[in-house]
Amino acid sequence: MNKHLNNVQGEAVGPAVPLSRRHFLIGTVATGLVLGYAASSDLLGLDQAVAAPAKFDPSVWYSIGEDGLVTVSVGKADMGQHIASTMAQMVAEELGSKWSDMRIALATNDPKFNDPMLGAQITGGSWSTMMNFDAMCRAGAAGRIALTDAAAAMMNVPASELTVRDSVIAHAKSKTSKTFAEIVKGGKITKTFTPDELKAIKLKTPDQYTMIGVSVPQLDIPFKVNGTAKYGIDTFLPGMVYGKLVLPPVRYGATVKSVDDSAAKKVPGFIKAVTLDDKTMTTTGWVVAVADTYQHARQAAEALKVTWDHGPNAKVSSESLLAEAKRLQKLDDSGLFFVKTGDTASGLASAAKVLEAEYTTNINIHVPMEPMNATAHLDGDIWHIYSGNQFPTRSGAIAAGAAGVDPKQVVLHQTWLGGGFGRRLDGDMMVPAVQAAKAVGKPVKVIYSREDDATMDFSRPLTYQKMKGGLDQNGKLVALNHDVVSAWPTKRWGIPAFLSPSVDKKGALDAFTVNGADFFYSVPNHNVRAIINEMAQQATPSGQLRSVAPGWTFWAVESMVDELAHAAGKDPAQFRIAMLDGAGDNDGGAQRLRNTLLAAMGLAGYGSLKLAKGEGMGIACVSSQERKTASWTACVAHVAVAPSGEVKVKKLTVATDVGTAVNPDGIRAQVEGGAMWGLSLALYEKATMKDGGIEQSNFDTYTPLRMSQMPEVAVNIIANGEPATGVGEPTVTVVAPAIANAIFNAVGARVRSLPITAEAVKAAMKA
Amino acid sequence: MANLIINGRNMSVDAADDTPLLWVIREQLQMTGTKFGCGAGLCGACTVHVNGEAVRSCQTAVKEAVGKQITTIEGLSEKGDHPLQKAWIAEQVPQCGYCQSGQIMQAASLLSKNSSPTKEEVVAHMDGNLCRCMTYARIQRAVLRAAAEMRTASTGSDRRNT
Repeated sequence: MNKHLNNVQGEAVGPAVPLSRRHFLIGTVATGLVLGYAASSDLLGLDQAVAAPAKFDPSVWYSIGEDGLVTVSVGKADMGQHIASTMAQMVAEELGSKWSDMRIALATNDPKFNDPMLGAQITGGSWSTMMNFDAMCRAGAAGRIALTDAAAAMMNVPASELTVRDSVIAHAKSKTSKTFAEIVKGGKITKTFTPDELKAIKLKTPDQYTMIGVSVPQLDIPFKVNGTAKYGIDTFLPGMVYGKLVLPPVRYGATVKSVDDSAAKKVPGFIKAVTLDDKTMTTTGWVVAVADTYQHARQAAEALKVTWDHGPNAKVSSESLLAEAKRLQKLDDSGLFFVKTGDTASGLASAAKVLEAEYTTNINIHVPMEPMNATAHLDGDIWHIYSGNQFPTRSGAIAAGAAGVDPKQVVLHQTWLGGGFGRRLDGDMMVPAVQAAKAVGKPVKVIYSREDDATMDFSRPLTYQKMKGGLDQNGKLVALNHDVVSAWPTKRWGIPAFLSPSVDKKGALDAFTVNGADFFYSVPNHNVRAIINEMAQQATPSGQLRSVAPGWTFWAVESMVDELAHAAGKDPAQFRIAMLDGAGDNDGGAQRLRNTLLAAMGLAGYGSLKLAKGEGMGIACVSSQERKTASWTACVAHVAVAPSGEVKVKKLTVATDVGTAVNPDGIRAQVEGGAMWGLSLALYEKATMKDGGIEQSNFDTYTPLRMSQMPEVAVNIIANGEPATGVGEPTVTVVAPAIANAIFNAVGARVRSLPITAEAVKAAMKA
Repeated sequence: MANLIINGRNMSVDAADDTPLLWVIREQLQMTGTKFGCGAGLCGACTVHVNGEAVRSCQTAVKEAVGKQITTIEGLSEKGDHPLQKAWIAEQVPQCGYCQSGQIMQAASLLSKNSSPTKEEVVAHMDGNLCRCMTYARIQRAVLRAAAEMRTASTGSDRRNT
């Protein structure tokens, strides 16, 4: 179980006062009405709060201007999942505002914008909608109540006779109404909800929704079609100069031996070469060439002659990482137990049939379209940094560490993110920007080249998984051992709250490397070991790549389950459905997953469509991202395999049970993109390490899916009234195993390594 | 000092002849709708028009663009209402949005020459433009939608399928 999810019950990761113990304040200020949770629970009185907002430091969740426009402050990173728009949609539902009146404002790293459940500002895990749904709806409802009370007083009618819709509060009997704008302009509104009062507000039931469940247009899209959306890279500050990185040939562990700037000095506009002194150890051996323009910085970087000590990882390769993983897996005392149910040793010993298989994934890099960048500016004793970031709480601290100041002296200004996918959970870009700005005494914008971005990625680690399953004489899976060897990306953060105790309390493990392995199938004897590959941890400092662990655990689980079904002589779907019996802790989730699988099968024509020779359909179903946060997702892949081993994915059919669909079209967009990501990781994306460095540096050698490689995609969003779940990631995890299972059904070739290559398929066809 | 004609306006900029047009447009003229993605002509994020042709501005030296008509996303339409921009909104194409200026500029050069592209022609024309959010299905739909709208606007009705 992931420890951070206990925070749902009120234990915050950070020191912030949990939302459940905060008052909600509503008050009129010069610009209109502000509404937000007070950080302090010992309120003196609202008048004072409004008079001295700084003292009470309310986190302004939204405001309503005298023009009636509602601006929602978003403490989430918007990287294309349209979470800012979704937050506004949840407020609007309960507030009763018109969609065209909604606006969004991106927050800074100020703790008052922290996630109410996580106690930090972090965007990931497909958590945002589910974790903010109640708070945003409640904030909207509190605003509606305050406005209704004010309208009742203005109109001199009972509040209970008023209805709210489209930013208008109407009194049917007297045929009179007031707009939000008129009410806000009309006088002073003050209202406080105690935590209990806030909790007691009766929220709408789904049948009353007018906004949730509607595909309203995303608020950020108009700015993204005319070039006006501002990303971090679009920052300009007066007097700003530019930094271009000069990087060592190894990913991590190098130190600078010498910097010769004699040639760089001939480049016009060259200012200085800055060798980073990174006490946060986020970067190693980096030098920044600073010049008046980016073109000059690029030329100066080219001209700098830097020598490095390549450090301890200089001989590490993908091959040595895999060999080390295999060595670790063989050791009895490796790792920590994430799942330990029953007795797998005796279960396997008494099994009628035992199957063993190993599954691997190669290194993958994020390469979002906007390369990493940051602009840093010291103003007095405050550092202002402009950079789109998914984890401002930690990245702000990294910037502070790089600057040698207290984190309170760093203001991280959020922007739109030109892709995140987990890459911008990291704060490496803060270091060169801050230290270059400090060294030259001017604001500096550091822009990574694509090569810098690719080779210094915090990658999805190379993973190795060994599975051993036992079937009884009836072909039922009775025992399963599952070892997962990888770098531990979340451990690298050094934040204990994000680690989880092993089931036997022998240590803390990184559940973000094994999530998904604790599936919803009923298997009486089941072990999952999480094993850290220290060599990978050092040489390929890993990050969270869209879907993180379930991107590899379900690759193994859903391939192995398929192999076991075939070994048992059973239909892979029937085999799965039999194990999704909802016994014990699996109750609820197992049934939802079963239903989703059936929905996908029906939509795809699984088992009923007649397929040509060399074609096959394969299935997979997943409970990504975590047991407590699952979106129940299933995929049917339809492939055609050529005699050469070449795989053509003809169609992907995805069904996903998201409980409540806030914006159905937005969810569809995430599922479409997620499915393409899953396909891209399954067939097209592979990074490798050689001599301690990532070998792929641009889109000629690291090759995400392009338009011509896109198959037909069918998506079925299931909204059955359960609470809203997240959709940014789960679909990514279901595609690769569905494709591999389809390949097996098409030509009898079993592939166990990602990405799947024609060579591997052909070799398996012969075997 | 290079003199450039961008979106119909004369602009002079202090940049050496071999400076990529991208960096002049983005960082010196601060017209940031044009994006940097790869610096190697592999992704299309920096696509602009030079004399109506879609080019990768990261691979185009300033000297090659002098005296020619350069169009960026900011100049594609006066009010951001080019049929492609409207179609991009109608189909809710962008996710992160970073590549979309380049996608739209690339698509515009197709529609200026071919008012009735087939799906295959759209794919062939757009394949050099990467979208890491992988919004390709919606890009495709939006290009075809815009083409239909442009045909309707020019003929009063869409006769393509009649």
